[in-house]
Amino acid sequence: MNSKILQFIALAFSSLVILQAFLGVVLFGRLVGFSVHDVSVYYGDKSLHGLLEVTLPHTLFISIALMAVLHFLAFIQTIDLKTTKKATCFVFTLFFLDQFSPLLISFGLEFFAILKLFAFIGFQIALLWIWMLLFKQTLTGLK
Amino acid sequence: MKFIASKKLSDNSVMRSIIIGMLLSLIFAMMLSMTAKGIDYGVSPMQWNAAVLGNEAEFIDPMSFNDLLLGIHADLFGLIITFVLIASVYARMGRSRVIAISFLTLSLLSLLVYPIGMLFSPLLGSTGVSLSLSAFILFHSLMIVGGLDALIGLLRKKF
Repeated sequence: MNSKILQFIALAFSSLVILQAFLGVVLFGRLVGFSVHDVSVYYGDKSLHGLLEVTLPHTLFISIALMAVLHFLAFIQTIDLKTTKKATCFVFTLFFLDQFSPLLISFGLEFFAILKLFAFIGFQIALLWIWMLLFKQTLTGLK
Repeated sequence: MKFIASKKLSDNSVMRSIIIGMLLSLIFAMMLSMTAKGIDYGVSPMQWNAAVLGNEAEFIDPMSFNDLLLGIHADLFGLIITFVLIASVYARMGRSRVIAISFLTLSLLSLLVYPIGMLFSPLLGSTGVSLSLSAFILFHSLMIVGGLDALIGLLRKKF
């Protein structure tokens, strides 16, 4: 394929994924809020059913998406296997904390509100970093 | 994923059956997605406009921005995964370069225009909604046609 078109396709796809992450952040800001108090109040008031309605699809789909995204890291020459493993563990840890902190907050463990906030922001930044890395590699050539 | 790395799918009957099953499910999912949207929003631009922007004459309230964001966020996730799966099979089918590039570019552009049109509909009004509706139909049609093309190719052991 012509490299310019390939670059355009990579750019369009990256924009799409960034748009999706951006929508997630905006939604979080509008529905929950970015302060520890907001997070604590929002999840503290939610029923278990309400929490599962959000956690279940996220856990199911994001785990598949993470598998698809992270396996591309193995194709990047400049990153060794150890770093890929560490990055994978780090991203999955943030993902689990992000998804399961709300359940613990609703059980009265308000401390997890701080963790939820950090995990959410950290997860978004980590994913963005991985996508940017993959995008950069697509432009410079995969192994 | 293995099907991206393996050389010829027709030589591997297990992978071939898995991908045939996956394509059938995705084509079915795309049809269901269009049906669900038709039930939720309607099937004409007028009905989409009324569902998103509201209609005073019919006492329909406009959709709240939070609901709009939530709908796009949920839709986009499934559509991105569908695009990645169908495009990765389609790209290795051996179709001519022009067809493959046109398929990928058009699919991606329509997938980008759909949420952007919806997001900007409070500013652009019915133009944004109509753009979004056109992109939604174009993307789903492309995925169904591309999926069917790949499915027929696989059944005929073309790649």
